[in-house]
Amino acid sequence: MKKEKGAKGMNKVSRDSCLLKPGRHYLQGNEAIIEGALVAGCRVYAGYPITPATEAMEAASRRFPEVGGRFIQMEDEIGSACVLIGASWGGVKALTVTSSPGFSLMQEAISIAIISETPMVIIDIQRPGPGQGYITASQEDVMQARWGHHGQGPIIALAPSSVQEMFEVTIEAFNLSERWRTPVLVMAEETVAHMRESVVIPPLEEIEIINRKKPQELGIPPDNYLPWGHDIVAPMANWGEGYNVNFVGLVHLEDGNVTRYSPQMNYHCVERLHKKIEIDANSISCLDTKFLEDCNHLMICYGVVSRTAMEAVAEAHEERGLKIGYIRLRRLWPFPEEQLRNIVCEVDTIFVPEMNLGMMKHPITEALRDRCKKIVSIPSIGILHSPDYILSKVYEELR
Amino acid sequence: MKNHPMLKYLKAEGPMGPRLPTILCPGCGGGQVLNYTLHAVDRLISKDNIRKEDFLFISGIGCSSRITSHYLNFDSAWTIHGRALAVATGALLANPAFRVIVFTGDGDLAAIGGNHFIHACRRNINVTILCMNNGLYGMTGGQLAPTTEKGVVTTTTPYGNPEESFDLCKLAETAGAPYVARWTTAHPRQVVRSVMKGVRKRGTAFIEVLSQCPVHKKMSPVAMLKMFKDNTILIGKERESKEGKIPIGEFLDIDRPEWNDSYQKIVSQAREGDYRTHE
Repeated sequence: MKKEKGAKGMNKVSRDSCLLKPGRHYLQGNEAIIEGALVAGCRVYAGYPITPATEAMEAASRRFPEVGGRFIQMEDEIGSACVLIGASWGGVKALTVTSSPGFSLMQEAISIAIISETPMVIIDIQRPGPGQGYITASQEDVMQARWGHHGQGPIIALAPSSVQEMFEVTIEAFNLSERWRTPVLVMAEETVAHMRESVVIPPLEEIEIINRKKPQELGIPPDNYLPWGHDIVAPMANWGEGYNVNFVGLVHLEDGNVTRYSPQMNYHCVERLHKKIEIDANSISCLDTKFLEDCNHLMICYGVVSRTAMEAVAEAHEERGLKIGYIRLRRLWPFPEEQLRNIVCEVDTIFVPEMNLGMMKHPITEALRDRCKKIVSIPSIGILHSPDYILSKVYEELR
Repeated sequence: MKNHPMLKYLKAEGPMGPRLPTILCPGCGGGQVLNYTLHAVDRLISKDNIRKEDFLFISGIGCSSRITSHYLNFDSAWTIHGRALAVATGALLANPAFRVIVFTGDGDLAAIGGNHFIHACRRNINVTILCMNNGLYGMTGGQLAPTTEKGVVTTTTPYGNPEESFDLCKLAETAGAPYVARWTTAHPRQVVRSVMKGVRKRGTAFIEVLSQCPVHKKMSPVAMLKMFKDNTILIGKERESKEGKIPIGEFLDIDRPEWNDSYQKIVSQAREGDYRTHE
């Protein structure tokens, strides 16, 4: 068997740093994830093969040992997600890349990662469902990302739209997970995962890398250490550092004590997590905008659809002089309701093209129903909308 | 209790209040297993100079998992039902120096966690598995477990268990664990020695401890311990049950390459640019 094309870029690996050299590379989206993870400092990968995410795992199996990291093929996706929890508390950033059915299997682990405030990154290369569905492109897991895991656990979920962004967003995901001590999801589609594009890797010193806050750096001794306290984002002592951390999945006090359960303690524990992500982390930037000035209509999109939607909006301007504004959600969760309300005053129709039957349309409606006359979903499943298809739906609506 | 020699390894008091007593029922075998394990750990710290910080206790869900929960004055993780070994795998990938001890029960390990169990043994990750086998699900009220003997009445087998039960030691051995032993809570010194051997073993050590659940078995703890002594027979590696008794003892003690040791060779290979493609 010949080495696949994607491995070509791997040959450019600098033996000194073992990371891809700054400059232009031709990569598949799945491979760009792995290069981004290595730059972010991720050194443990656990996975289970699943189409269309398998190439990421294969790239990881080549690349992680090169940087002295660890790669393991687990017995299932449940195990993969659990490896991330163990590795993260062992002091190493960890990644898994999966696709929709595998993402379903990870939900319990995501839930416990949220309550234990474990930084880790899970990337879902979405394929259509329900069931085995198919292996083409989809955005049908965007609601599962937020609501799939049991309990009221807030989550950060990002949506890349190009191979370049698969690289960049993976780094951003690690930075956010370490900054907010929480699992971060990257909701990509088969389209970008299998796409091959140029990726420009900047000099490493220009890439910001965030690492978790440590109690040692803050001068907190083990006896006074609260693994879930001190601040809204607690400093994190890794296992093996003498801090005697008792990781718990039950609702707990700030030191991990679970014996003093009360509904008030339960409420406080859940509310704290909610505040951390839904309020504090909500400050992170999340919207790309264009043509917003004097627009009569709006196109709100995310993920790879934002590329063809952008094309459609530009054509509508050129062809018919239609004033359609463009908003892309770079971050799906926490939902940027406030940010949307800050920039959208009054429009006629909001178009929401999605690779599902209208999922993010719901929080968009909740945020903007008083700022528009109508919200129109433009669905497609299994294939990315073409600009013409989006345009035809827009023209049909505005006829 | 105040002067118990193992109290130094427990968190009687945390920054936000007391953590003891444990939630275990009076007469439960879990406390005994914890006591034996801590004795072994104590000796390993003093005899082998293993750093206390390198010990890591991981558990899943259930009564046996609850004994690590938040009572230990060590790094510990009380994780997801059945997934302790997967979390332990992750910890060992991150830091191969960890001496991981997994506390688990028969339901946690052999039912919901069965897949991780066989694969941990196959990979030979450096973990000591202490499985407290009480033949039922204690935390939820005495339901059928994969180790419940055929015919036994439980809260979910009101007409008797129609299924055969698992021999966990045979399972571990077949799956590749290099150290396999079975004892009962009535064999304290043997358990302590086995745990010490298990932690010293480079790879997966599986130690099954038959443990009493007086509450759901509706027997006195003393009667159950006596039963453990009477109904077991110490045998060696041939391990054939005699006179219908449960075999106990060390069934296997061999050496096999541990996962991280094997993977370190992959790292050296990859760093030299040997991709080993299928050409």
